[in-house]
Amino acid sequence: MALVVSAVKREDFKSCAQSGFCTRNRAYADLASETPDWESPFRLDPASLQLEDGILTGDLMHTPTTSSSSAESSGALNDGYTLEIHLLDNDAVRVRMSERDPKRRRYDGLHKTVLVKPLISSSQYDHLARDENGLFTINYGSQRQNSARIRFAPFQIEFLVDGVSTLVLNEGGLLKIEAAQARNDVADTRTRALLERRLEQGMWSERFKDIVDTKPRGPESFGLDITFPEIEDVYGIPEHASSLSLKTTRGPGAQYTEPYRLYNLDVFEYEIDSPMALYGSIPFMLGHSKDKTVGVFWMNAAETWIDIEKIKSTSGSNRKTTRTHWYSEAGVLDLFVFLGPTHRDILKQYSSLVGATALPQSFAIGYHQCRWNYISQKDVTEVDAGFEKHEIPYDVLWLDIEHTDGKRYFTWHPEQFPDPIDMQLHLASKGRKMVTIIDPHIKMDKEYHVSIEATDKSLFVMNSLLSPFDGWCWPGSSQWVDFENPRAKDWWASQFSYDRYIGSTNTLFTWNDMNEPSVFTGPEITLPKDAMHHNRVEHRSIHNIYGAMFHAATAQGLTTRNETLQRPFVLSRAFFAGSQRYGAIWTGDNKASWEHFAVATPMLLTIGLAGLPFSGADVGGFFGDPEPELLTRWYQAGAFYPFFRAHAHLDSKRREPWLFGEPYTSQIRAAIRTRYSLLPLWYTLFQEASTEGVPIIRPMFFEFPSDELTYRMDDQFMVGDALLVKPVTTAGATHSEVYFAGNEKWFDFYDGQVKRGPGVQSVPSPAYKIPVYQRAGTIIPKREKPRRSSKEMENDPFTLVIAVDSNGEASGRLYLDDGESFEYTRGDYILREFKVQGRVLTSRSLNRQESETEWSFIRRFSSLKVERIVFQGLSGPVSRVVIGDRPTAVESGHDVAGGQYVVVVSKANLPIGQDWSVTLL
Amino acid sequence: MRITCIPIVITLALSLVHANVATDNKLPRGVAPSRAKMYTPDTKGQWACLDGSKTIPFTAVNDDYCDCPDGSDEPGTPACGTGYFYCSNIGHTPAYIKTSRLNDGVCDPECCDGSDEFDGRTHCPNVCEQVGAVSRKEREKLERVHKEGNRIRKEYVVYGQSSKKKLKEQLDKLQAASASVKQAAADTKATLDAANAKLKEYLESTKLEREAARERQLAPLIEQQTQRAEHANKIKNLFRTTLDDLKENHNKNFHDMAVKSTISGYDEYLEELKKQEEDEKKNDTKDKEEEKVQSALERMHAAQDATYDAKKDIGLMFQLIKEMKEKYNTEYNDEAVLKAIKVLDEFAPTWEDSSNDFVGEEFIEIPDEDAGDKKEEVKPEDKGALGEVYNRLQKGASKIGLGFLFKGPKVSKSEIEIAQEAYNKASEEERKSLEEIQKLEKKVNTDYGPDEAFAKLVDQCIEFKEIEYTYTVCLFGEAKQKSHSDTSLGTFSSWEGDNYDTQLYTGGARCWNGPERSVKVMMTCGTENKIVAVSEPSKCEYLYKMETPAVCHDLSEDAKDDSNSNLREAVYPGKKKHDEL
Repeated sequence: MALVVSAVKREDFKSCAQSGFCTRNRAYADLASETPDWESPFRLDPASLQLEDGILTGDLMHTPTTSSSSAESSGALNDGYTLEIHLLDNDAVRVRMSERDPKRRRYDGLHKTVLVKPLISSSQYDHLARDENGLFTINYGSQRQNSARIRFAPFQIEFLVDGVSTLVLNEGGLLKIEAAQARNDVADTRTRALLERRLEQGMWSERFKDIVDTKPRGPESFGLDITFPEIEDVYGIPEHASSLSLKTTRGPGAQYTEPYRLYNLDVFEYEIDSPMALYGSIPFMLGHSKDKTVGVFWMNAAETWIDIEKIKSTSGSNRKTTRTHWYSEAGVLDLFVFLGPTHRDILKQYSSLVGATALPQSFAIGYHQCRWNYISQKDVTEVDAGFEKHEIPYDVLWLDIEHTDGKRYFTWHPEQFPDPIDMQLHLASKGRKMVTIIDPHIKMDKEYHVSIEATDKSLFVMNSLLSPFDGWCWPGSSQWVDFENPRAKDWWASQFSYDRYIGSTNTLFTWNDMNEPSVFTGPEITLPKDAMHHNRVEHRSIHNIYGAMFHAATAQGLTTRNETLQRPFVLSRAFFAGSQRYGAIWTGDNKASWEHFAVATPMLLTIGLAGLPFSGADVGGFFGDPEPELLTRWYQAGAFYPFFRAHAHLDSKRREPWLFGEPYTSQIRAAIRTRYSLLPLWYTLFQEASTEGVPIIRPMFFEFPSDELTYRMDDQFMVGDALLVKPVTTAGATHSEVYFAGNEKWFDFYDGQVKRGPGVQSVPSPAYKIPVYQRAGTIIPKREKPRRSSKEMENDPFTLVIAVDSNGEASGRLYLDDGESFEYTRGDYILREFKVQGRVLTSRSLNRQESETEWSFIRRFSSLKVERIVFQGLSGPVSRVVIGDRPTAVESGHDVAGGQYVVVVSKANLPIGQDWSVTLL
Repeated sequence: MRITCIPIVITLALSLVHANVATDNKLPRGVAPSRAKMYTPDTKGQWACLDGSKTIPFTAVNDDYCDCPDGSDEPGTPACGTGYFYCSNIGHTPAYIKTSRLNDGVCDPECCDGSDEFDGRTHCPNVCEQVGAVSRKEREKLERVHKEGNRIRKEYVVYGQSSKKKLKEQLDKLQAASASVKQAAADTKATLDAANAKLKEYLESTKLEREAARERQLAPLIEQQTQRAEHANKIKNLFRTTLDDLKENHNKNFHDMAVKSTISGYDEYLEELKKQEEDEKKNDTKDKEEEKVQSALERMHAAQDATYDAKKDIGLMFQLIKEMKEKYNTEYNDEAVLKAIKVLDEFAPTWEDSSNDFVGEEFIEIPDEDAGDKKEEVKPEDKGALGEVYNRLQKGASKIGLGFLFKGPKVSKSEIEIAQEAYNKASEEERKSLEEIQKLEKKVNTDYGPDEAFAKLVDQCIEFKEIEYTYTVCLFGEAKQKSHSDTSLGTFSSWEGDNYDTQLYTGGARCWNGPERSVKVMMTCGTENKIVAVSEPSKCEYLYKMETPAVCHDLSEDAKDDSNSNLREAVYPGKKKHDEL
């Protein structure tokens, strides 16, 4: 008998039809499309409009027309709705809609956690003007290049850049706000049409697999359509195991039948190519076309679904228009519109609201070795010795749940880890760190100090009856810390002090897992929506941000445990908008399969585009046993993930890099060493991301925004603006099809061979390497000595690899700081810009402050040397190289095939912290 | 970099470059005295990289810039990171470390003289005196252990060789005697065959008559037994469906070990079943060719077998669910699990109350052939009655000495019985002799090392107590993991490699969702046989580290052979690697 055992248990998770508010909002969209000449029943009262201090307010009324009246549910208890449009100082616009005088207060506290600082209104706007069509327009932005054009009836807001329509709210008329209402059980639903029944499904309670969501507040969902005119590709809204360019979920020929779902869940061996919800949620979407780019942030942490449809453009353009329909179960309708004008501007505007990535400790971008589980101190020592013996660098060794005393976090298994401090010191002597896992479920145990304290201080989540919620997770019966309670954050952070977390040292960092949160006995394996947080906030309203709040509290604990603040390192599985401020995330429990390996690329690109660049996928695949070829290919690609960690399930066979023998050990060693040689580039890119909000690994379109061929390309990517990487995701491949964008040259990272764009070319990808190319016009800083860990490289000299473009120009940067403290925020860092122009390479400082000598990092490290400079792509021979007036050793030659001249300046001995120039004669 | 034309060295101001050459004896830093001649410039002051790929000025050796692709120009700086640095370690033993470990801020223990850190950032004290002293002490201790161990080993060798000799002698003796034993068995077999032939002939001649009678006798019983089999099969199928359902629908997120183990038990059962079905298929095709009509007795046995098989399967599945019921996590409320337990509970009373077996007595007793039909009253004139048939047959059989086939007072042993007994005795002796020979052959053929040193370890059992488990091995026998119950980790299969220090034990109990357990026993010298550490480097693959005198070689004797021991230098690792290839 053949039993088909599918990986994910789909029936453990809700489909839209099993979710009341999803059904109701989708039914409303069906009603609209089935009704001829559908008009939104929402109207704005022109007389009510007021514009003051950058905030436009007005009264919205719900006046059903004949076409929409059948959709009206009886019993609404409200006095109309309010509209607010905030023009912000970063050129973003915030749009809020809510009931004027709600009978039940909606949760509206998300801004406290999500936004980095209070919003500041813009003063850059003109007066409200009414045009000949009766539409009101506000022009805003420094050049008044942006406009918001408002229609009263039916209500609609259109955003324009330089007069070009870029984003429209409620164009499809799907705005729907479920006002507080009295329960109405009179209607006999059986006599009503299916559509009508769907419009009222699950308003008052909802059963899923024997667990009833009591919905004491009744229906309070809301939805809105957001239209991207003449924009065919939209991106973002992670986390889904799906393509970079989002697929259609509505309309003829829709690629998915279900909407994209945002609801943080612990999904076992998740399905590939699916809009099912996963561990994290970021309700940020970017629309991009050749002519325009626009971003939307839907600030809501309740369960949210998004439908995507591609429709004919009303302008008659050949390009389709993307219409998206967003609906959330609770909270308020609160969204931000970013008009750029470029995609980089949009990410900068977005990150100025929710924060850009925190600059990590420098070790965190090295290689991480993890497994469930390194079972003892001896095991740890032996694995460490394996890396030494095989000369493979690594920075961090990880301990999963088995290291604890009975899954009580902040404790150690007394027999297996008798002396954790000694263990950490042993690794630290070689510059290495450790990470232990700390999850948000706290074992119910009257002897366990964490449980006792949280109980005494009433810091646990309650159930719907306001008694302590008790669920099941790794330790058995457990409770969950309520991070909505402001006292919980400080209390949790204090658990990381060295005198509380016995056996921890300053080289021990943290891994937050299971923080969706995962509750084995809960509905959809998470907390019930009617569970209750501090201040009577229902879990429903904050579900998607719970994990991020936990992540934030842990990061705070690691930051403040030292007398002088140190940067934290915390890896989290759940995430939300703003998680980038607390640390890294990874794509959860993937599988050792080529398919899971391949989907990691679009997943990581999408997460990065949504403002969270520090991410990775478990190299090798968590479940199962990878064949050595898959493992090796995964290492080769993983070396270009921002977060680079190998991990494996308890039931899988050991797979430390040397266990498969040759040629695999050497191939994996080479991949990891490549990562280490490029750490200066990675760290520089993290610094850029921390100020600009840009991703670190980028979709091709991000670097080639006007090349339409790149818009759906998600099997190759850019590291920063300089390196093109193509993971090899098929077994037995010897060649790969690589798309070389632009009209410039690309230099093979390993042997300098030249390819020219644009177009797809088949290039060799033998077992020992994957295609990596340096883009002409860039300069990459490297450190080439193979060391044991990133810490050991801090005194090593640099190599600059220059690829000049057809104009003979190139540029690049290097950022350095102490890699641990926050001194860089005060100015103690080195930021250089390198430029080649007219055969002269110059280095100049981009530091903001002048008094550089007073800083200890600058003092100690500015004399580090650039020892080697490689010029590639020169158009003519070089007879001499002059550094100042110093004659210099060089090697030169040219690649006959490409006619490219190459010059290597050896022993350049140029101090990294000083201005200098190198002239090619 | 693919540079197709020869690189031109354009500008070099050699005087500006200071080579980091040690001043005392012109030996570049990091180069062992024995390799000094490799680091001599030619007359023009040039020097060739050791791989011959390039020629550079000798002043570029150790100038902290990597010129040679093989890294040989920087033996004393971390510039290349690929070569090896020689620590002279005066007061201790010289050693090599990778040049990538120079000036990395770590005082590598291999360089006790601290010479690996020389850039002034990290000071590494010279601890060679202390390290050397400790090391010498350890070395002395090691030598003592090896000496004592080697003494014991020599005893092992003596024992092993004499025991092998004895075994061989014994084997020769047995093999010599085996011919007459074989002959006796063959002779008695011939006698028996003749008697049997006579019996067979008789049975053939009366076959139809007897079978008809037997058919009538057993028909009602077969029907009864068949009904019981069907009943049992119905219950079996109920359990199958229940477990299929559990397997497919249980919640995999819970990782409930009780549920997992029930399902893996069921999977093993299904696999076994599949194997059986395949075997049967093969047999079926054979049977079909013969087109055999089954006799009544065969059908009766078949019905009994079917009942028995079904009951056995039910018992197994019953036990699987019962174990789950005892241990499963009640908090999960997994519907599929609860459903299975419900089925169990409904069924349990009939199963567990043995007096009220759910199929009645398992087997209906098969009456003797001559028992007749109890309901039948034999009338002499009724020639067709069973009793009459048997009476007639008995008379016929008695005439040819086969009267024993029928019940009745026995006066003496029949011819066949005597022949059978004689044959049984002779063949048993033959079997014993063969077994003994095989056992001896196995012992003689087991590889106890080139000088038989390991023979002494045969059947020696040693154990190692860990936190949760006790690990045992009976050398050349079986390895086990013991806690509340014993788990086999494998039986001796072979030595690994040619060094006679690593044994493999394979074919142990299969892991849940994993391979069969196996053990690698790695032996080092010690004065007694003991396990010193046990680990599980990969799931279900165990590693025992054991000490035994059987691998002790006298170190001091080795040293004596090496007359230049005082001048010994560390072997250059790069070269060594090459040699190994």
